[in-house]
Amino acid sequence: MREPTIPEFLPGTLYMLILRTLARGPLHGYAISRRIKESSEEALAIEEGSLYPALNRMLVKGWLTAEWGISENNRKARFYKLTAEGRKRLVREYGQFDRLIRAIQLVMRSA
Amino acid sequence: MNWLQELARRLFYLGRQTSFNHELEDEIEFHIDARAEELEETGMSRQDARQQARREFGSSVRMKEQTRAAWQVHWLEDLQSDLRYGLRALARNPGFAAAAIFSLALGIGANTTIFSLTTEFLFSQPSCRNAETLASMIIGGNSHAYMPHYRFLRDAHIFEGLAGSNEESESNWRFGNDTYRLNVMRVTDNFFRVVGAPVAMGRPIEPGERDVVVLSDRFWRVRLAADPNVVGRALIIDGRPYTVSGVLPRNHRTVLGFGFAPEMYVPVSRESDIVALIARLPEGMSLPAAYARLVATCKQLDKVYPPDSGPGSSWTNNVEVVPVAGMERLKSLNIIPFAAFFGMLMIVVGLVLLIACANVSSLLLARASARRQELAIRLAIGAGRGRIVRQLLAESLLLALLGTCAGLILNLWLSGVMNRVQLPLPLPMQLLIQPDWRLLLYSIAVAGTSALVAGLMPALKATREGVSAALKLTERQVGGRWTLRNALVVGQLAVSVVLLTTGFLFVRNMTKSMTMSPGFDVEQTVWAYMRLVPEKYTTTEQFERLVRNALADLRALPGVEAASIARVVPFNNNSIRGGEIRTDLSHQPVPVRFHNNDVSPNYFRTMGISLLEGRDFSSSDRRGSSEVAIVNESLARHLFGDRDPVGHTFWYPGPPLSPPVTIVGVVKNSKYFTLGEDNPQAMYTPYLQGGDKYDDGHFMVRSLRPRDVVKEVAQTLGRLDASAAIEVKPMRDAMGFAFLPSRIGAALLGSMGLLGLALASIGLYGVLAYSVSRRIREIGLRIALGADRGAIVGMVVRQSMALVIVGITIGLGIAAFATRPLAMFLVPEVSSTDPATFLGVVAVLLAVAFAATLGPALRAVRVDPMTALRYE
Repeated sequence: MREPTIPEFLPGTLYMLILRTLARGPLHGYAISRRIKESSEEALAIEEGSLYPALNRMLVKGWLTAEWGISENNRKARFYKLTAEGRKRLVREYGQFDRLIRAIQLVMRSA
Repeated sequence: MNWLQELARRLFYLGRQTSFNHELEDEIEFHIDARAEELEETGMSRQDARQQARREFGSSVRMKEQTRAAWQVHWLEDLQSDLRYGLRALARNPGFAAAAIFSLALGIGANTTIFSLTTEFLFSQPSCRNAETLASMIIGGNSHAYMPHYRFLRDAHIFEGLAGSNEESESNWRFGNDTYRLNVMRVTDNFFRVVGAPVAMGRPIEPGERDVVVLSDRFWRVRLAADPNVVGRALIIDGRPYTVSGVLPRNHRTVLGFGFAPEMYVPVSRESDIVALIARLPEGMSLPAAYARLVATCKQLDKVYPPDSGPGSSWTNNVEVVPVAGMERLKSLNIIPFAAFFGMLMIVVGLVLLIACANVSSLLLARASARRQELAIRLAIGAGRGRIVRQLLAESLLLALLGTCAGLILNLWLSGVMNRVQLPLPLPMQLLIQPDWRLLLYSIAVAGTSALVAGLMPALKATREGVSAALKLTERQVGGRWTLRNALVVGQLAVSVVLLTTGFLFVRNMTKSMTMSPGFDVEQTVWAYMRLVPEKYTTTEQFERLVRNALADLRALPGVEAASIARVVPFNNNSIRGGEIRTDLSHQPVPVRFHNNDVSPNYFRTMGISLLEGRDFSSSDRRGSSEVAIVNESLARHLFGDRDPVGHTFWYPGPPLSPPVTIVGVVKNSKYFTLGEDNPQAMYTPYLQGGDKYDDGHFMVRSLRPRDVVKEVAQTLGRLDASAAIEVKPMRDAMGFAFLPSRIGAALLGSMGLLGLALASIGLYGVLAYSVSRRIREIGLRIALGADRGAIVGMVVRQSMALVIVGITIGLGIAAFATRPLAMFLVPEVSSTDPATFLGVVAVLLAVAFAATLGPALRAVRVDPMTALRYE
């Protein structure tokens, strides 16, 4: 059984989730998907097929930097870290997302 | 600038694609391992856990592709592959590539060289610190200020610093037993501080120093044999020892610019010296603010040192503050004709490049029709037209880049030649053309433009026709009589007619200048220049005694027919006076502008200028006697109309009570400073009447064999004063400066005309040769059917002449109008609409066209019918 993947109807949500996850400190790719899964109480899962392209697009945009380091089980792993640019981006994305959710909730309650 | 950083990151990725792929593999491997370990912890066997982890991850191929796509720069990778493809295509056709690159190299080499020359000559930055806060200043309309006035302004401290320099200064350098005249730059002691010109060795002149000099790199190398211990060495200059304090770098450019290169910088030593003012503005001070400050200080200067040019005059009149570089400076220097000349040169080399581009276009068109089927197939299997056009353009870009590289090599060589050229000028000049960022930007622009101009039209044409039509036709069947290539050749010929006409005009201008009489005799006169050490002649009497003795000794020399002295040597010094003068016949002032010279008796006889009316000056026209003058025909007519001016009087502009001057003679018109002048007005006054004392004497000597008396003249003058620097040369040799503009014009424009012609004839040859090669079967058939050889040659010649005649006709039509404005650069004796020029151009072009036709025509005649019919 596969867990449900991140809803497609809100583009850019994946970026926001990754940014948020990395806000607490650098993580490698596997840990990012793990952390999102745990925080969402297994409700959200990122397909590996979209995680790495997304991470690389964020590297190009300069929101993240990547560095090789040693993982918790003593293996070489690539760690992603938020840049100042990425932090700014997170605030903006979250603000927009928040407004959108509120608006949807307003519509849903009034109806 | 986010996109720029992003592009930088992408470009960085491009450089390390292989290691990036490895890293991605490692990352995937780690991901799967981590998941597998987690599954193992839930109790799964190691093998099952790994299999499960792999399954969950899914296919990594698509994901890798998407990850890489995140980094790619599509247009750049397309360009890369287009260029690689283009390079292969060029390598398959080396003859084609060589012809195109050669054409472009000539065009671009000529074009960028003129660009380098123009920027160096007009827009070079002086060697100084922060040129943008450095400004030249003019007060009271005078280019130079007297030392007390300079000191007053300096001590007003209105700017960060104010220095002065005099570029037209000379000094005598005693070296061994010889005395040499040097062109020196006299500067105030703070000059180097204010301007901040760097030195290569030693140190600059410091405030308070008097007896030190800073040498130019050239003087140090040529005259002092690059003495490594030169700093501290003593030089005897104007009879006094000076210590060398420093040597300038090789690439030193003076603030005056235009390649002016004095031999050394010497501190101003005399109170009578005059200096051009240069100020260092405080950071942030605008030019208008500086102007306002200067005007305010000039008002105070008026009170302390009132100007001597009469009541109502003030130092605040005609105040100017001009930056030391850029357009503003050119405007204020009033050298717009110069700039116009360079502008015309840029247009001319632009046309040369256009002809070169047309050659490349023509070659590309020929090749496109050979590749027609290849392109059609690519279109048929789904390549977009835009994509193919881009690919063809990449090929022409490649050609343009290679052509530009070759052109830049030509540019460097030509610039080196120009830097070494020693021009016969009264002031030493040295060009310092070096490749710089301006040349780089310009070359990139030229390469891009050439690629577009040469490549766009062939690329569009090659992809215009539909797939099916293109596939059906074979190469031989394509094209009618008036193809695009023919139109290109006609255009090339027309443009080269314009270029040739321009070149011809300038060459005729040169021959005319060299052979025309300047109105005086240059064949039998000798010019002896004697520069005196000013400190040795403190009184006018001493100076006059020297002049009288010198003239008497020179006249006594065997072989000398006449000798005289003049203040101004024609074509070498310029002295113009202007204003309004009143005559005894018209009490209304008459505006005049005349060349002015002070000459001794016998000057006109020495120079071979005929006296038309009245008398020559005599020894009785001396200091204290009533003032006299001799005018030329133009000034006589201007002042007195048809009346005989001899015996009439006039008054100079200025205070009304000045004594009248009597006109005692009229001489024939001649040229005074340039060959281009058209009978200007001139006035002569007696040399020893003004009571002036000069630092130099220009003795003019007449002899039937001028080259033989040069040595004796020099010895005679040397005996009178050993400390004087003496240079003697026949007047013919001293005319170099006068011939210079016409020579430079002829050399530059003549060679551009020839270059344009050569490129156009290559274009003509190419089109004819191609057309013959395409009609080989037809020609073979005709020969097989019994056509005689003359008819075959006639066929090729007819095609050639049709192109040439249309080209010439269009070209002549354009040239007739386009060359009109050139009259400003030509001597009045050469007309820009001279039929001889146009006939000459037509003759040259026909001859070259005939030569270009010869090869293809012979090829056509030699066609062997048997081979031709099998030819495919």
